[in-house]
Amino acid sequence: MRVRAVLGSIFASTAVLVVGWQAGAVVLAPDATAAAQPEAASATSADGTGSSAESSQATAAPESATAPTVAPTAASDSDASAADSSAAAAPSVADGTFTGSTVDTRFGSVQVSVTIAGGAITDVTALKLTDHESRSVQISNRAAPLLREEVLAAQSADVSNVSGATYTTDAYLESLQAALDQAGF
Amino acid sequence: MTAETQTRPVTPPSFPAHRRTDQRLRYARRARRADLMLIAMWTSGAAAAALFLASGGAAQFGSPAEIVTSLGILAGLVGTDFILVMLVLAARIPVVDRTIGHDRAIAVHRRLGKPALYLLLGHGALLLIGYGMSEGIDPIREVGSMLALPDMPLAFLGMGLMIGVVITSLVAVRRKFSYEGWHLIHLLSYVSVAFALPHQLSVGGVLAEGTLQRVYWIALYVVAFGGILTFRFVEPIVSTLRHRMTVAGVSTIAPGVVSIELAGRRLRELGAEGGQFFIWRFWTGRTWWHSHPISLSALPTGSSARITVRDLGAGSARISAVPVGTRVSIEGPYGLFSDVARTSEKLVVVAAGIGVTPIRALLENAEFAPGDATVLLRAGGVEETYHWDEIRALAAARGAHCYMMIGPRATGSRSWMARADADRGVTLQSAFPDLRSSDLYLCGPTSWLDSIEADAQAAGLPAHQIHAERFDW
Repeated sequence: MRVRAVLGSIFASTAVLVVGWQAGAVVLAPDATAAAQPEAASATSADGTGSSAESSQATAAPESATAPTVAPTAASDSDASAADSSAAAAPSVADGTFTGSTVDTRFGSVQVSVTIAGGAITDVTALKLTDHESRSVQISNRAAPLLREEVLAAQSADVSNVSGATYTTDAYLESLQAALDQAGF
Repeated sequence: MTAETQTRPVTPPSFPAHRRTDQRLRYARRARRADLMLIAMWTSGAAAAALFLASGGAAQFGSPAEIVTSLGILAGLVGTDFILVMLVLAARIPVVDRTIGHDRAIAVHRRLGKPALYLLLGHGALLLIGYGMSEGIDPIREVGSMLALPDMPLAFLGMGLMIGVVITSLVAVRRKFSYEGWHLIHLLSYVSVAFALPHQLSVGGVLAEGTLQRVYWIALYVVAFGGILTFRFVEPIVSTLRHRMTVAGVSTIAPGVVSIELAGRRLRELGAEGGQFFIWRFWTGRTWWHSHPISLSALPTGSSARITVRDLGAGSARISAVPVGTRVSIEGPYGLFSDVARTSEKLVVVAAGIGVTPIRALLENAEFAPGDATVLLRAGGVEETYHWDEIRALAAARGAHCYMMIGPRATGSRSWMARADADRGVTLQSAFPDLRSSDLYLCGPTSWLDSIEADAQAAGLPAHQIHAERFDW
């Protein structure tokens, strides 16, 4: 009886581990392409069209084509009308797209740029996201759209943590705050 | 206390032929269940590791920092799984008790304690080192950056509690506490395991939102905590309220030994088997904080049950003085020292001292054909022959042979027999010629029982045919 239990345990444990490993391999495959995307984005960041991990989540919003540095541009976003109304209230805020600092975490670096139009945050683009491990890529891809929505709603970097993506969240918000500081927002 | 009859009427045997069960078949089924439980236990450990692999863990062994970090995550997952298995084993879930028995479940629970703690300590240490390595800081400074994360202070606190719980359960340390004090500390393990959950779900990437891994992990927690809540708390309370047991009488049957008669409602529906025990709590001002695991010394009838206790220890001494009418709360019935554990048709029962009490109840509902059961009662002196008259009457009514062996062991001897019998050359096999094809039930003081159990093993009796209950109170 003991032999049966031992053999059964070995068999079942092996089976479970193999299934887990295979499931992991499936997870790894699509992420290999996702991981490459932030790289491409940073390499061609001058065009700023946001071909980042975030846009791969099909949440890409129309973006203004600007240089990544402090370079005021005309607001061409769909949110422009809303942004215009608040422009008067915050005259000291420069319009444009501002790139935040690169924040290093143990899972890779994070960098975001923020687009300000008419004194309001109209878009946040992730230029780099945590990508050290395939799992981080998955987590980043999940967290980035959530964080973008929260930031747009709150109009600040003062938003809550995305559970399961604590490192990404912290770095994302830190980079965002740096960008907002540049804008004098 | 009250004038009670000291002997109970003996229930006549009532096992019509068609009701007889095949002991071997029943044992085969029970053994299969036990094997499945063991397989499930180890597989759950493997499944914890598989969670990590399923989230792409296999690729995370590329650098020294990644290797240390991955091992840390694996240790945390497997260690927590062991802790949850320990909770399930301690939850007194009926199917676990019927399959491997409460004693063995607790023995496995104890054996898992230290490995689980080592895994969790390893989890903490490896992750501090691994994360420190990838951030280029030492593990001590990493503690600070960890504590800054949400849910991590709670996780550190949970770890501290778990260390305390395991240390107070080490044999040497545990002796310094009263059972009640130790148990109170031990209950903190629930708090500790609960404190660990938030950081697993928020900081840990393996169990991220929207993954199957998260669903599985939460289900494990629900099973473990649900089992504890249901069978350690809700079921005993419901059972106590339903059966409303009270002390009906306390009678001294020998110096220092009392029988407590209990009254209650629908007691047959407790489903107690002869040989099983309940955990009793007597609600008087002086006794309510002690609970006592005591075997039934007679099977419950519809409205009454009986336990017999020897006055050892302060707690036991006080329960011999509880007044009639005292309310009693119960947890149980528990234990596999009953007919449920049978593996063969024949039965050999040997009991010593106060160990006769579960035997008395066991003989009431054990299944055997007349002539297939042999009982040997053992006492150091005539003053220890508790309930022997009842057992002899039961044996006579059911067609079991009953022998008695009275007298002290030979000085310095490790034999379980009385000196005179040992000198005559009596052995376990000469006393029980059918031993090899019988179930051997043993109940008595630990040292005596170790001796007779060793004899039985030496005689070639396989472990599953030996059923032992160590009885020191």
